[in-house]
Parts: sequence; C-alpha cells; structure tokens
Amino acid sequence: MIELEEGIRKGLRIIPIVDKEIRQLVRDPKTILMVLLMPITVTILFGYGYGGKGAGKYPITVVDLDGGDGAFKFIQELRNSKMFEIKAIYKSKGQGFSSVYSGKVYASLIIPETFTEDLMRGRPTRVELYYDASNPTVAQMIMQAVGVVTQQFQEWAASQFGTFAITPMFYTVYGPKIKKIESFIPTLMAMILQMVPTSLISVSICREREKGTFEQFIMTPVSVFDIIFGKLTAYFFATISDAILSLFTAILLFDVKLKGTFLDMTIVSTVFLLNSLSLGLLISVFSRNQLQAYQASIFSFIIFMLFSGVLIPVDVLSSEAKLIASFVPMYYFVTAFRNVSLKGWSYLMVLDQLTVISMFTFAFLALSLRFLRMEVT
Amino acid sequence: MLEAQRLEEQPELAVEARNLTKRFGKFIAVDHINLEIRRGENFGLLGPNGAGKTTTIRMITGVIKPSEGYVKVFGIDVARERKKVLKYIGYMPQKFSLYEDLTVEENIRLYGRLQGLTGSLLKERVKELLERFYLWEFRRRLAGKLSGGMKQRLALATALVHDPALLILDEPTAGVDPPLRRKFWEHFRELNREGKTILVTTHYMDEAENCDRLALMNRGRIIAEGTPREIKRKALGGDLVEIVFEGDLDPAALPGVKSVLEDSSERYLLVVEDAGRDLPRIVKRAEELGAKILVASPVHVSLEEAFIRFMGESE
Repeated sequence: MIELEEGIRKGLRIIPIVDKEIRQLVRDPKTILMVLLMPITVTILFGYGYGGKGAGKYPITVVDLDGGDGAFKFIQELRNSKMFEIKAIYKSKGQGFSSVYSGKVYASLIIPETFTEDLMRGRPTRVELYYDASNPTVAQMIMQAVGVVTQQFQEWAASQFGTFAITPMFYTVYGPKIKKIESFIPTLMAMILQMVPTSLISVSICREREKGTFEQFIMTPVSVFDIIFGKLTAYFFATISDAILSLFTAILLFDVKLKGTFLDMTIVSTVFLLNSLSLGLLISVFSRNQLQAYQASIFSFIIFMLFSGVLIPVDVLSSEAKLIASFVPMYYFVTAFRNVSLKGWSYLMVLDQLTVISMFTFAFLALSLRFLRMEVT
Repeated sequence: MLEAQRLEEQPELAVEARNLTKRFGKFIAVDHINLEIRRGENFGLLGPNGAGKTTTIRMITGVIKPSEGYVKVFGIDVARERKKVLKYIGYMPQKFSLYEDLTVEENIRLYGRLQGLTGSLLKERVKELLERFYLWEFRRRLAGKLSGGMKQRLALATALVHDPALLILDEPTAGVDPPLRRKFWEHFRELNREGKTILVTTHYMDEAENCDRLALMNRGRIIAEGTPREIKRKALGGDLVEIVFEGDLDPAALPGVKSVLEDSSERYLLVVEDAGRDLPRIVKRAEELGAKILVASPVHVSLEEAFIRFMGESE
C-alpha cells in the first residue's frame, strides 16, 4: 500500500488549527466581552475604587479635640465646601496620623482643644492640617481648599464674635510612597491574566466534545500535540491584548506611573499568560462539559486569589497556607510583577519566579498531552 | 489520482470486524458482532434507534475503543494503527459535527488542510466539492445558518475532501425531507459507482433497498445479513406467493409449500422455497386437483416486514 498520496503533507497540523481557532474566537461575542471589555471594566473599577479619585473629593479625616459648637460648625463648613470626603472623625491625634500614614486618606485636619472657647472670646486660634507630601499635587489642592474654608469660617466668626484670626497650620507627613492604584497594578494584572485566559480556553476542548465537532475533528490525522499547541497559540494571540489593554487603561485613565519598562512587564506577563492558558487547557481536557470547565476555572481562581498574596500577604499566612501558596503560580507572578513594575527591576532579576511559573506551565501542558483522549464518549 | 492504484493493492475486505463488542458499564451496546464489507460494496447497517449502529460505526472509525474484538479497515487494525487508517475513511457522523461559526468554504478548507492538502491542490479540491454538492453560492454562509439538507451536503462534501476509499455515513438522511433523501441516495450510488466502498446506517427500511448487502441489527446483535432479497427470504423461510382460485384446494397438497400465511376461503398467501420454480408447479398441480386458478403471483415483501419477523424471532 502506498503510504501517502502525492501532495498530501505529513507532519504537524498546528497552523490550520490556529487559523480555525482565531476565526472562531473573533466571531464569538463572548471573546470581545471577556478579552476587551472585562479588563477595561475591571481596571476602571479598580482605578476608581482604589485610585483615590473618588467623585472629585479628597478623602480626609478630622480629629476633633474640641468637641464644641465651633468645631461642629467648622466640620460642617468642610463638608459644605464639597472638596472633601470626611472618612472619619477621631478624638485623638494618633488616629488622625495613622490614617494618613497608612495611605487611607490624603490628610487629617486637627481642631485644637480650645477652639470653641477661643472663638467665642475673640482670641486668635488655629487649625492643623497633617498632609501626605508624597503626592504634591493633591497636597497643594488640599492646602488651598482648607485655606479657603478657614477664611470663610473666619469671616463668619468675625461678624459674630469680633475681630480675631484663625490660622491654618500645615504639617508634612510621609504616607506610603506609592499611590494606591499603582500598588494594585500587580493584583489587577494577576486577576486579568488569570481569570480571562483560563476560563476562555477551559471550554475550548469540552465545547467541541459537547457540540460533537470533536468526533469529526479527530477523524483527521491531527495529533494530541497539534490540538494542544494549536489552541494554546491561538488563545495566546487572542489574550495577550488583554494584558496590554489593562496596562494602557491604567496608565491613561489613572495616570499610573510604573517604574518598570514596557518590555520587562510584557515578558513577565507573557510567561504568566502561558501558564494561565495551560491550566485552562488542562481543565478543558478533564471537563465533561462547558459548565464544569467554568466552575473549575472559577474555583482555581478563588484558590489563587486567596494564596497568591493579593488579598493577604503570604508572609503573614500560616505555614500550611504558605505551603499551598508555593503551589500557586499566581503567587510567583505577583511577586515578580511587583518587583518589575513598582521597583523597576529587569526581568532578569525575577528569573527565579519566571522559572517556577514555567515549570508549572510545562507540567500543565505535559498532563494535557498525556490525558487528552482522541475518542468520543 | 492514485486512487485506482492504491485500491488494487488493498485487500479484498474494506471492513472486517470480529467479535466486536462494546460495553458501557453493565450495558452491552454491541455484542460480539462479525462484519465483512467487501471493497466496492454499498453496505447498509439497518436497525431501530438504540440497536447499536452508531456504536458499531464509531468503533470502525476508531473514535471509541472496542471492549473486545477488533476492526480492520483495508487490513489495518483500527485500534492499533488508527492514524494510518484515517486517510482511507471519510466519515459523516449522525449529528452535524462541523463548525457552525465557520463558513461553508472555511469548513471544507479546514478539513482539507487537516488532511494535509495544500496550495493549488487544496484550492481545486474545495472548489470541486462546493460545485458538486451545490454549495458554491452558499460558500460564504456560516454553517450554522444552513438548512438541514444543506448541512448534510456540506458534511458529505467535507467527508470526501481527502478522496477516501471508504465512506462511512451514519444516518445521513435522518431529518431530511423525502425528495432530498432520494437525491442523497443518488449521490451515494454515484460515489459507489466511482469505486468507493460505502457503509451506511439507516432506520428507513425503504432506503435500505438501495444497498448491495445489509446487516440487520437489534439490541447490539446482528440478527440477519445478506442482500435485501436474501434477507426477506430468510425472514419468511422462502418466497411469498399469492393464489386466488375457485373450487376446493388443500394447500398441503401443493408442491414446494412451506407454510400458509393467510387462508381466506378462496385466497391463499403461501411461503414457497423459490417463487420462480414453484409457482408454475403449483398452478399445474392445482388444476390437476380441479381448482381454477384466477391469480398466481409472487408477492413483494418489504424489508420492514422482514425486519419485524426477525425482531420477533430474536426476542
């Protein structure tokens, strides 16, 4: 028997599979939703939720040591100015300071003990503003606004109680060096690079089984290798935009300033993206239907969130939890990406983490190749 | 095309199954069946839904593994050397199995490429198939937007993309309108004339009359096998003839009669060994006995009747 007809090519069949997968991805409205809309939406939500832009108001805290009517009236003036969002009113200076130190608010305004009394007697008095100097633009705005409010208050008080002065005193405090949104970029990237690619590719094989297309597909001389690497390549192209899009959204909309170079961040993201896709493929190989695949992706995502240090730093976890974290690729990514994006390290300095992530990728792919059955059930 | 040369070197049997068995847990879907499909034959696998036809087909195409026994396609063991055998098989599964989000042309092209066709060979082949199955004007339409009949034509075109020597069709006309069904069978016969071996399953008994040979399946077993005529003869134990007469006539006195199916005063429905040989003898003998024969003719038996008889026996 003749082995092959002339013109029939032997070898890999990855390219037609990549071609097919990309066509299907482009035509699936779900792809647009997941690859384009979700990263942007999540980034925007994060930006507004953690970026401190609020609704144009600056979050501050007030320490009311006076407790009298004068202080009450002054706090009302602050609120009326519509410039501030008063997050809390404390009774001690310490609480006020720590709210600035922790980066929760930009400033804390302290109203001294004798404020009301001084006011009523026409004596000069003051308010103290402790502001976070790590963000000069915001600090400037807050000082100006406090100045305006104080002046208005003084005019009112002068007409009521006679001539005197209220002096705003400004003190510098250094809060966290990094703005909130920046510190959340590694978390954001980890989420987007984990959830979207894994869940998107996790249905790719079991959907073919469910719809019956797998039966025809495996009647061609495609190999397990062709299927796994064909799908991996296609989904990689479709989801790499995911990572880039999120970064750009953050940079453009929230004025995020990252120290890492674009190249370094892309290399680290790519290594992790391949890992997420491989995990998704493995899920797809073992899932009986699309629902199961989605459930498995979400379940793995929850585990990853809990043990990757994005919610609670891994250092403070119990030793058992640390052990689990060591099996979570996302943990290594968050560490690596944090160093690259926030500290400006080169990807070469996080090669350890990248190696571990790649080992997981390799394991996921090897298992997928081993267990993908060229059969129907 | 090297088709002819390739076929010459192939063994006589296109499909050979021995003790083929498939169990799903305790349920035996296919129970030790033997099948021999000769090269060039148009072979039908007939039976009700759930008889095990699709499972049998799937073991022949190798998309499921037998629990016992083996299948050879052109002498190649399917379970052991599946990849080698794939290029000789064109398969059209029961359920539409192409990509609904790809166009007609993209589907055929994809399968052409997966089968290893490239360049101008691929281009020509795709065009040829689109034209042959009247799909040219719909080539840019998504497969999911096609009517049932067009989907089936696309599935057939795709199954043929690599010019396979054996075409396996699982319920190709299920859900297709009767006039279109006839058109499909014309396609099949044409492909058969071109030298392709065809294995087709159906539960439409009238369609099965088109096959060279048939196997009747019920509950995972093959309960009868042969040409349509042989199967009918086997079901009845012979040929069916009708005799209408005047006067008295004892059927037991007639030659070649094996059994009496109907006995209404002056009309008999008889089973004889061979209608062509026995009918003239019966007429002669009846007249010798003094009866006047008004009608004496062979009766057409439908496969359905034959099948129902076999089913009754196998219960």
